[in-house]
Amino acid sequence: MSSILSDDLLSDLMAVGQVDVLVGLPTLNHAGSVGPAVHAVHVAFDRELARERAVLVNVDGGSTDGTPDVVRDASILDHPTLLASQSLRTRHRISAPYHGVPGKAAALRTVFAAADLLQAPAVVVLDPEVASVTSESVAALARPALDGEADFVSPAYARHPLDGLLVTQVVRPLFRTAYGLPLQEPLAGEFGCSGRFVSRCLEEPAWETDDLRLAVDLWISGRAASDGWRVAEVGLGPRRLTARPRPAVATLVPQVLDALFTSLRLLEARWTSPAPASPHLRRCSRPAVLPEPGTSVDRGAYPALFREGLAALGGMLERALPPSAVAALRASAEPDVRVSDELWRSVVLGLAAAHRHAVVSRDHLLRAAVPLYLGRVASFAAEVSGLDAGAAEERLEALCRHFERSRGDLVALWTAPAR
Amino acid sequence: MSDDLWYKGAIFYELHVKAYADANGDGTGDFPGLVTRLDHLQSLGVDCLWLLPMYPSPLRDDGYDISDYCAIHPEYGTLEDFRAFLRAAHERGLRVLTELVINHTSDQHLWFKEARSSRESPKRGYYVWSDTDDRFRGVRIIFRDTEMSNWAWDPVSKSYYWHRFFSHQPDLNFDNPAVREEIWRMMRFWLELGVDGFRVDAVPYLVEREGTSCENLPETHEVVRELRRRMDAEFPGRMLLAEANMWPEDVRPYFGRGDEFHMAFHFPLMPRMFMALRLEDRKPLVEIVERTPEIPAPCQWGLFLRNHDELTLEMVTDAERDYMYAEYARDPVARINLGIRRRLAPLLDGDRRRIELMNALLLSLPGSPFLYYGDEIGMGDNVYLGDRNGVRTPMQWTGGWNGGFSTADPERLYQPVISNPVYGHQAVNVERQRRQEDSLLNWTKRIIQVRRSTPVFGRGSIEFLKPANHRVLAYVRGFGSEKVLVVNNLSGTAQAVELDLRGLAGAIPIEMFGRSLFPRIHERPYVMTLGPYDFFWFKLRWL
Repeated sequence: MSSILSDDLLSDLMAVGQVDVLVGLPTLNHAGSVGPAVHAVHVAFDRELARERAVLVNVDGGSTDGTPDVVRDASILDHPTLLASQSLRTRHRISAPYHGVPGKAAALRTVFAAADLLQAPAVVVLDPEVASVTSESVAALARPALDGEADFVSPAYARHPLDGLLVTQVVRPLFRTAYGLPLQEPLAGEFGCSGRFVSRCLEEPAWETDDLRLAVDLWISGRAASDGWRVAEVGLGPRRLTARPRPAVATLVPQVLDALFTSLRLLEARWTSPAPASPHLRRCSRPAVLPEPGTSVDRGAYPALFREGLAALGGMLERALPPSAVAALRASAEPDVRVSDELWRSVVLGLAAAHRHAVVSRDHLLRAAVPLYLGRVASFAAEVSGLDAGAAEERLEALCRHFERSRGDLVALWTAPAR
Repeated sequence: MSDDLWYKGAIFYELHVKAYADANGDGTGDFPGLVTRLDHLQSLGVDCLWLLPMYPSPLRDDGYDISDYCAIHPEYGTLEDFRAFLRAAHERGLRVLTELVINHTSDQHLWFKEARSSRESPKRGYYVWSDTDDRFRGVRIIFRDTEMSNWAWDPVSKSYYWHRFFSHQPDLNFDNPAVREEIWRMMRFWLELGVDGFRVDAVPYLVEREGTSCENLPETHEVVRELRRRMDAEFPGRMLLAEANMWPEDVRPYFGRGDEFHMAFHFPLMPRMFMALRLEDRKPLVEIVERTPEIPAPCQWGLFLRNHDELTLEMVTDAERDYMYAEYARDPVARINLGIRRRLAPLLDGDRRRIELMNALLLSLPGSPFLYYGDEIGMGDNVYLGDRNGVRTPMQWTGGWNGGFSTADPERLYQPVISNPVYGHQAVNVERQRRQEDSLLNWTKRIIQVRRSTPVFGRGSIEFLKPANHRVLAYVRGFGSEKVLVVNNLSGTAQAVELDLRGLAGAIPIEMFGRSLFPRIHERPYVMTLGPYDFFWFKLRWL
């Protein structure tokens, strides 16, 4: 069996020794964006976590833009507004390549293995693309595990209800349906967890599968939800991403749906069980609802794309979804696109089951889901256009509750023999 | 408490009620006193208490001469006190073993009084009688210092009765079904009260047959199997522990096919641990472990460093015994029977490093460890108290009056508290060590915690590594996918060793006390250095 940790990384870890907090930072060509995260960690180590033994472990997937050098060389002195005080301890930061197929899963496995070896009671994983990370948010993700109050710490961001629609319209409702855990951001790339949780995750054979490569974030939050771990949610303020080109929606939707459905498949024994573990959620602080959206929904193009997709992909959708759902989708296209919560629930559950049973090519199915998603988004945006942000947020909660009530349907569809 | 194999992962603690804590101020420990000290035992981290005999007795053999099987010695309390103790122990997750002394009774037991009163007595057949003292000729005498024969003359019934131990301890006749029925009735009495098992005394001698050594006879095994069968049927999860001071291959039959004893003490290992330490050579220890036969999966060896008896040297060669006497009992007053009547700390000259190493061996070799009361704080002994009483002195709780054991006048104590400047209660006591972070007590708690962090030590296999340096004893314990590497320096000087760990290549050793990482194991020899009497326990991880 090949080692997860290289000898060089092990040697670095030996020098660090036992720690209280390990912050993992997976990177791949993030030289231009990783700075804020590294800086926030350094400040947290000197201020919020000054008494804890802490280490930053940057695991890199083979960056060609000098990311590890940026992490290693980043200095707190680059930020003159910061601390005048001396740190109590030697600051440790390690930058090392990880083994295996490049991807978030291999990176996280390396971070987890390092944390397990150093017996860190608290582990924080950061997303190098989040520019809004602060020392306070690093500490907020670490503290519940450090204090022994939680095993998984999920962020909640201050958002407008029309921001992060892929999360609010698909990931959040379906996650909640399967696991019964009302997490705001099950897909977040940054989270905290306990050493115990890390150790248990490491024992899972799923790491050896290719499925985890894209689904790892949702697999981790799903494990926390489905195994009865103590979960905390901490409000971190607005989330701002670094200025980098983002995938188009046509690429992003299939990726996220694939990750979501795959994570459900990896954890199906847990959540389809007749007696699933009861989730425990403690909200440490609630994020604000922002009054204005950061992004806009193209209410001109999306309905047209929805109609075109329905027309072009009707045959495939008929094989993947229940006939009643396809008929309802067609009926919802005219005159204005109007995809109700109930129809959307039926579509998402149908897509999930079709992905599980591979009734059509998964790749084709995921691409066919794009116009459906755009139709739902356009419909939802139109519906809440006259509402203030608070009322719109309540609509999102109502959608989740509607989904949650159909847990039995999801389990039945999921466990039914393939058509 | 649902694991039927609980004893395989358990740490046992042997104590004498009379020596532990005296609640009523009469100078003798009692059950209400013991209840007040259960918190100490819980915080120490042990799992099961083994109580030395607590039954009514004339106390001519420290309670192993029982005069009533179904009651509590009045000096230790009442049956109700015992019930309250058992409840309190169970509430703290502590199990309780009691003594089952069935080879013999006291000559003050009603059964014997009736049996000797008339040759026609219904109880006559409860014991082994003879008109002559020449039956079972050639059977060895165990207490050679005090007994001349295994037969004693009873002037009342004018016949001889059989006894393998003291003459005031007549052997029961297990050929008599009524005796076996009485014994089971007595066992059921205690099991119904809630005791978790029995340490069965003097097992090999239950049955006698002419022309044999009268030890380990097939009929004795049949008695054990019958008792086990009845206990399992009515009280699953309870445990039988054998005292059979013999070579491991001779003890092996007492496990049967897993249908006799759950556990048996490994007597020959103990002196060899002391020998290996003094010789600074792993040879005697490795030899005895390697000649120990496999036992059925549900069974377990009981390991100990010291107990209420002498450090027995029955299971060693003459040369080994001479060496042990020369090294550990230069003063002949420390010798008794075939052994040495000393506690752990004085045997090791009070050397903390050797005490720690010996405890580390005890807790890392295959088997369940038994700690003897007071050894967790390094208590001393008093060889001048006669017999083995010197290792049964009152527990030392504080530096105050009677060491916190009793409020009675010191002259009234069942035995004096150790009071010399080195091991006396003013210097060695629980209260002081509780407050000192680096005390032996706190160290013992820590090593127990570490042992409990993995099932490997209680349930795992052992494979010795044999590096060129004979002063280093190294072995790998494995259970399922878990592996622990143990490396001990038996010598009083720093040692370097090259370990051949090719079979473990790729593993990362994590030192289990400080959780420090060590370099990954590769195909090449793994070089280590150890300070005097140092030891390392490494959990091996493949990451």
